[in-house]
Parts: sequence; structure tokens; C-alpha cells
Amino acid sequence: MPEDFERVPETGYYVYGVVPVSGGSPLSLRGIDEAPVELVPFHDVAAAASVMALDRPPGRRAELMAHSAVVDALAAAGPVLPVKFGSVLESRDSVVRDLLAPDHDRFVDLLANLEGCRQFNLRASYVEEQVLGEIVRANPEIAELRRRTRDLPEGALHPDLVRMGELVSRALEEARAEDAAVIMDAVRGFVLDEAPRPGGGPDHLLEMALLVEDQRMAELEEALEVLAEALHERIRLRLAGPLAPYDFAEAG
Amino acid sequence: MTVQSTQRRGGGYLERPAPSGLADVIETILDKGLVIDVYVRVSLVGIELLTIDARIVIASVDTYLRFAEATNRLDLYEHGGKDLTEVVGDLQESGASKKVGGAVKGVKKAIKGGSDDDESSSGRSRSSRRRQTEDA
Repeated sequence: MPEDFERVPETGYYVYGVVPVSGGSPLSLRGIDEAPVELVPFHDVAAAASVMALDRPPGRRAELMAHSAVVDALAAAGPVLPVKFGSVLESRDSVVRDLLAPDHDRFVDLLANLEGCRQFNLRASYVEEQVLGEIVRANPEIAELRRRTRDLPEGALHPDLVRMGELVSRALEEARAEDAAVIMDAVRGFVLDEAPRPGGGPDHLLEMALLVEDQRMAELEEALEVLAEALHERIRLRLAGPLAPYDFAEAG
Repeated sequence: MTVQSTQRRGGGYLERPAPSGLADVIETILDKGLVIDVYVRVSLVGIELLTIDARIVIASVDTYLRFAEATNRLDLYEHGGKDLTEVVGDLQESGASKKVGGAVKGVKKAIKGGSDDDESSSGRSRSSRRRQTEDA
């Protein structure tokens, strides 16, 4: 049988992340399908990977959760460059040849930068009724459009509605720029790096990934607690982490 | 309304979510991390689909309508600071505006993906709506 007849092989090497090889301690992690996670080394770096059967379309909940759990465990043990979810290479050889070898030096640098750091995700959202109320009161045109459109049936597509939504959206953007600056000024002293994350919706204010040194974590949390209390009538703050540095794996 | 998997610690104002639900995990990891060259990766269709599905946002007109709905379902009476004609309007329309509020919340929930939904049901509800990938 000709070898290229079968396009997708039966198993592949699922890669979770890249770590320094010097860590040394053997992994006892289970990954996707409960497969043991092994370290595939190349000089100073190693890829955490496990064998995965390719007999079905992946991307299911259990696989996401397993990926996340492995990367979190690696991050708790030391620096890690998370690999994008769903990355499967053909073989152990391919992990070395196609992933580790070509970018070895870059991975070493990136890992050195992430040493002793974790990521936090900061989300600020508006207390919607409060901020939209401020906007309506401050903007006569919006107030007038609101009066005109409140009787429209649910789901109506009226030009006045679109116009009002556009004006509100613009007013929110201005408010966001101002409020986001205040929030970031309060946290910048505690973070090494920052990266915006996508966010949306009427209550969206700010979504930011923060890279924080281990010894500054408590200070960051305290500063945000003070800020959250001061702003709580208009703004809610939510801090997730510590996480693996998902948003800083490609930086530098 | 978007904090169902969130708990406050020690009565503080800063929310510290326990990142255990599917929605949190998707939000944290999807589309993030080192990208392996497509030419050496084994092609995995299912994962690409899931990536697109989780990043859907509603097209711009719909987004404006969402802002408009949110503005219209405000009950300004509770927060004070408005003129008398509006008060009267609110009293007449509060029933209708509540319905709109429910619909908007429903859309939000569908986008976020209830954290305990399994993939088949949330996938179905998503596929019926207009979608567009978000600018990174």
C-alpha cells in the first residue's frame, strides 16, 4: 500500500507547552484521554506532550479542560510557554525537528523572561444601569431617541434604534478610555508587562492580561481591592489567576 | 450578569473567580499560546471549528441594537435624575422593557456558553445566529 494513501495518521503527539529542560523533576501528569504527559527534550528546552488518538474530531470539552489542567500544572512548577490549544504533531521526532529545534534559542529567551512570573487576567465591567444612566442624562440626543423608541416592539429594526445604539456605543468608548486609564495607572507599578485581550458588550470596560512577578502578586491584589472598593458603584473588577502566561508566549 | 461563576473572597469588592468552568477555560486559553506552523501540524478540523465558534460576535448593526436595547431597558426612575415625561413613560413601558432585557441576557448567555452546557446543545444554539469573527 502506498504510504501517502492515508492522509491522517492514527495517533499524534499532542503538545501542551514548552518548558526549560533543567527543571529535572519527572512529570506525573495525565493529559488528554488520561494519557501520560512526557517531556520531549532538545538541548535546553523540552516539550510537554502526550500521545493522542486521532480517531475523532477533537475540540471537545474534556480536551480543553485537560489541556488547561496540564498547562496550569506546568506553570505552577516553573516557566512555561503554553502552546495553542489543538496543536498535534505527527510524531515524537516531529516535536523535536519541527517545533523545538527551529526556535530553540527563542524559546530559551522567552522562558528566561517568564521566570518567576505568572499571568493575571483583569476584567473591568461597568455597572450597566449606572453608566448607561449617566450617558442618557448627559446626552440630550440619546435621551430624545430613547423617548422615541421605547414604544417600539421587541426586536424592531428602526433607524432611531440604530442611531441611539451608535451614540451610546460612542459615549461608552469615551468613558472607557478615561476609566481604563485610571485603572491601569493603579496597577502598572506591579506588573512587568501587559497585553489587551478581546472583550465586548455594553458593560465592557477593560480586558487585560498582566504579567506579574511572584513577589508582587499580593501587592497587586491589595491595590485592586482598594480600587474595586472605591469604584464599586460604577465599575466591577475581576481578577483571574495566577495563570500560565498564555498571552505572553509570543512576546519579545 | 456575567459573574455567575465568580465568588468574592473575604467580603471584598474585587472578584476572584475560581477558573473551573468551561467558559472560563475557553476564554483563557483559546487562540492563545505558541502557534505551530500549519505545515507541520496534523490537520484537525474540529478544533478550528470550535475556535471560530467561541469567538463569535454579533455584526455591528446588531451590536448597536444591543446597546440601544440596554439603554431602553434602563429603569431610570430607580436612579433618579430625569424629567417628568420620562417618569410617565417608564411607568407605562416597564413591562415591555423587561422582556427586552431578558432577550439580551439570553444572547449574552449563548455567547458566553453556559459553563455546564455540553458541546452539542450550545453548538446548536450558536449555529442559528449570525456571526462574525472578532478582530484580534
